[in-house]
Formats: sequence, structure tokens, C-alpha cells
Amino acid sequence: MRQQKTPIELQDELSKQFNCPELDEIVWLSILYDFYGELLNSHKKQIFEDYILNDLSLSEIAAELNISRQGVYDIVKRCSQELKDFESKLNLVHKFQSVKVKLGLIKTIITDTEQTGDVTHIAKIRVLADDILKEL
Amino acid sequence: MAVKIRLKRMGQKKAPFYRIVVSDSRTPRDGRFIEEIGTYDPTQNPSAFNVNEEAAKKWLANGAQPTDTVGKIFKNAGIL
Repeated sequence: MRQQKTPIELQDELSKQFNCPELDEIVWLSILYDFYGELLNSHKKQIFEDYILNDLSLSEIAAELNISRQGVYDIVKRCSQELKDFESKLNLVHKFQSVKVKLGLIKTIITDTEQTGDVTHIAKIRVLADDILKEL
Repeated sequence: MAVKIRLKRMGQKKAPFYRIVVSDSRTPRDGRFIEEIGTYDPTQNPSAFNVNEEAAKKWLANGAQPTDTVGKIFKNAGIL
């Protein structure tokens, strides 16, 4: 059996990947934006998109929209906080990632079973499926 | 002409993927870029960087300004 990592370990790895600062902060915010971006109003959305997704600088956005650099900074900060608040209340990203990891595991088990003809691991699929159902 | 090196988010929703692009700083919002010089894939573990070193050095030598985020990627890739 190829699979050595438990779902918990994989999940830890994922969260480590997203918790590490600097670059991952931007990746993390862009994922939050994928999930909750539609809840921001369009003015905020435009600024947040320019800053996080298109990597424009604060002063570039400020010049483009004729507002102050500080104003742009405040909006980006506020949006980030809003998105993080949504996540802490709704946990959709966390659920999505954990379901994704478990489905990946199920797929590996199926491939292994197909290749080796060894059906003893099928029970693990049931456990994983139950876990997923519990989380939904 | 002022030129910047930026990250540009591509990929589907919930599956981020970035291109490192060279673009004109005077028209930041039109989305066009001059050249793609690399990619950054945070969904892999560890994150996968792929930078065309030659092109990056050429643009840097010609005075292109990397953004903070791209600067970090270049540092990781050993270019800066």
C-alpha cells in the first residue's frame, strides 16, 4: 500500500502550507476571496482583487481610483478581516480542504485495490466516506 | 517605460495558480502583459516555483521592478 499519510497528517500539512506567512498570506486571502468574495460590495471587491489577485501596489490602485493610499490600505485591511471572520464563522474553506484530502485518499485506495486486487482496504473507504458525511 | 514584474492569479476558483508576468506599470489594470517569465503553484506541497532565470535577470538588469511578492519568489529561487 502506497499511502502512508493519515488524513489528519495530510490536513496538518495543508494548514501548515497555508499558515506560513508572507507569500502564503496572499494565497490564503485569495482562497478566502474565492469562497466569500461575493459577499463584499463591488467597490471593495475591485480594490481587493487588484491588490490580492493582480498584485498591484497600494499607490497604483490609489492613483487609478483617485483616492488616498491610506484609503486603499484601510479597505484591503478591512476586507481581509471580513473574509477571515466569515471563515471563522462558516469554516467552508476548512471543510472543503478536508473533504478534498479525504476524497484524494479514497481515490488512492481505489487505484491500489484495482492494481493489487487486494480488497482488504475497502473498509477504509467506508470510514472515510462516513467522515465526509459527518462533516457536511 | 516603467516596467514591473508582478504575480497574476490564474487558475480556477479554489485552486489558485499564479503566473509571474512582466507588464507596463502605467496601465496596471488592463491585464495585458509583455512576457510571462514563470509560474508559482501553491497547491503543491512544497509550493512549486518555476522561474525562467535568464529572462528574469534580463528584465531586472533593464530596470524592471519586482513587486514585494515576486521579490520573495525570486529570493526563494536564488535570483535576487
